[in-house]
Amino acid sequence: MKPDTLDLNTLCHQSPEALAKFFGVKEDNPLLKKLTSLGLPTKKSEAYRYFDAESLLEKEYKTLAYVPKEAEEADKLEIVNGVVTTAPKDLRVYYGVYDEVNKEHYDPLYFLGHLLRPNVIIIEIDGDREIELLHRYTQRDTLIQYRIVIKNQANRHATIYESFDSEGTQGSLVLYGYDITVARDSTLRVIRNQTINDDAYHLIASHYIKAEKQASIILKTFDFGNRSALQLLKVDLGERAHIDAGHLLYLSGKARRGSISQIVHQGEHSSSFQEAKNILEGDARGIFDALIRVEHSAKHTKAQQNSKSILLNAGTYMVAKPQLEIYIDELEASHGATTGQLDEKQLFYLQSRGISRQEAEKMLVIAFANTLIEKVKDVRHQEKVLESFEKAFYAKKDRG
Amino acid sequence: MILDIKDLHVKIGNKEILKGLNLTLEEGKVHAIMGPNGAGKSTLSKAIVGHYDVEVTQGDILYKGKSIIEMEPEERALEGIFLSFQHPVEIPGVNNAYFLRTALNAKRKHEGKEELNAAEFLRAMKEHLEALGMKSDMISRSLNEGFSGGEKKRNEILQMLILEPEVIILDEIDSGLDIDALRAVSEGINRMKDGKRSFLVITHYSRILDYIEPDYIHVLKDGRIVKTAGVELVEILEKDGYDGIEEDAGS
Repeated sequence: MKPDTLDLNTLCHQSPEALAKFFGVKEDNPLLKKLTSLGLPTKKSEAYRYFDAESLLEKEYKTLAYVPKEAEEADKLEIVNGVVTTAPKDLRVYYGVYDEVNKEHYDPLYFLGHLLRPNVIIIEIDGDREIELLHRYTQRDTLIQYRIVIKNQANRHATIYESFDSEGTQGSLVLYGYDITVARDSTLRVIRNQTINDDAYHLIASHYIKAEKQASIILKTFDFGNRSALQLLKVDLGERAHIDAGHLLYLSGKARRGSISQIVHQGEHSSSFQEAKNILEGDARGIFDALIRVEHSAKHTKAQQNSKSILLNAGTYMVAKPQLEIYIDELEASHGATTGQLDEKQLFYLQSRGISRQEAEKMLVIAFANTLIEKVKDVRHQEKVLESFEKAFYAKKDRG
Repeated sequence: MILDIKDLHVKIGNKEILKGLNLTLEEGKVHAIMGPNGAGKSTLSKAIVGHYDVEVTQGDILYKGKSIIEMEPEERALEGIFLSFQHPVEIPGVNNAYFLRTALNAKRKHEGKEELNAAEFLRAMKEHLEALGMKSDMISRSLNEGFSGGEKKRNEILQMLILEPEVIILDEIDSGLDIDALRAVSEGINRMKDGKRSFLVITHYSRILDYIEPDYIHVLKDGRIVKTAGVELVEILEKDGYDGIEEDAGS
């Protein structure tokens, strides 16, 4: 029987015996051992150094019962407060225990999530198809946590369009994440529109992705708003597997948002392309802390990593840490990061055509964002993402 | 006169580039500025349009009798001053059609006219695109991104055609153009000649002047206009170079 309220910080400082009892596992459970060895994030934790996780974790939250119910048939797969409520008729969605949890993940909250909610939501994607996944949250001051396992079929091409919606979620913390296995010779696209409205919940999403031989994963995250949100990603690439990971950040107010990632090349001829575009204003802090590791086994790897940031005013701070860790010689790899203001030459060009300075600045910011938004192939979803971006960007009062 | 530049001194950084330049543009006339490298030709164009690089330390620029040196670049543009850039910048992510329509509607709004919607705008564009030999997909691409030199210059002329400015400054419009592109660009410019618009053609070479017949040739040397004459000056310059010309008295 779980308590009605939970303070994660206090919980995780309990003895191993008490913790094992709380999670209903044996003391030598590998996930519990990983959690206790990593410890909960603090200001000193490498992964969370620039994200104020401590203040989110030490708060006492209400907890939820997560009673599974029969999902109604609908076009969208909808998960409300961690429970599947609707699903397309021909999509296999069920709850189950996942026994392939990645033991090498660097994020303690990945293990905490699996321990708190061992009964994960499993989605099996048959054939070539598109799925719209909507997360909806309606509880305030609540810890909402769940995990999703996604499996696709070999030789198939699937796309997931993920979005978030909320109402009355002040003070809540959402801990969720994917465990994705991309089957060999398949392609999986995950387009995440992670816009969080004003006065809403905070989000920490901890993902693990395994791309099997010749599999391809395209992960695009569009991350807008003025609240705290962090994406933690670990990816293992098999032989000739590929990842294309993009992250567009637009932050305002006192937002702390961004991504921390580890992409591990394990197989020969694997390739990774990672790009982040970050637009910051107000007192926002953006995070792009990305490591690409090329193992001894990953000869002939191609790895490319890039972060570009625009700071719209002096109060912003961007942490951009692209890193390569390479153990072989036979590879092509590059990485880089730039942080600056809007380009004066471009601004002048627009002004010289009668466009006001303010309008020119807006055009350049939207243009900067557009270079990633345009990579969403489906026009309808591309427009949705652009709409979310413009809504967040124009929400600033003097911009109307 | 439409533009009157008086005793203009301009600095870029700590270096004085224009050193008391005087120039008058007559309504409906084509003025060509020629001069050696580093004479200040591009600085002059930047000073007229209000580029952030330049600092006017002395003198004035009068447009239709009013000083413009305190005006923002966009105000000068809305009043009818247009610069075709020697090196137009690329702006990834800004759709060319969206940019052109925004610029046109800013101008129309300034003139108290109704703004054009996307369909009206595209109808208005069609004729210009055809006349300039531009592929229709060029306006759906990002502004100048990946354009060849010729395409960039054609795009500059397209902007000139739709914005219908009154003073047109063409900064090295012929650089990097092959014969076909030069002809298309020149035809576009000549279509704008209506006896009222004035042109300031800045060039290194006389080739462009075979296509756009100038009324006056001005030689800019060491930050000042040192010689003004008719088109016959081109031949003298070609023969004797800039060092061989006799400077006007009092220049």
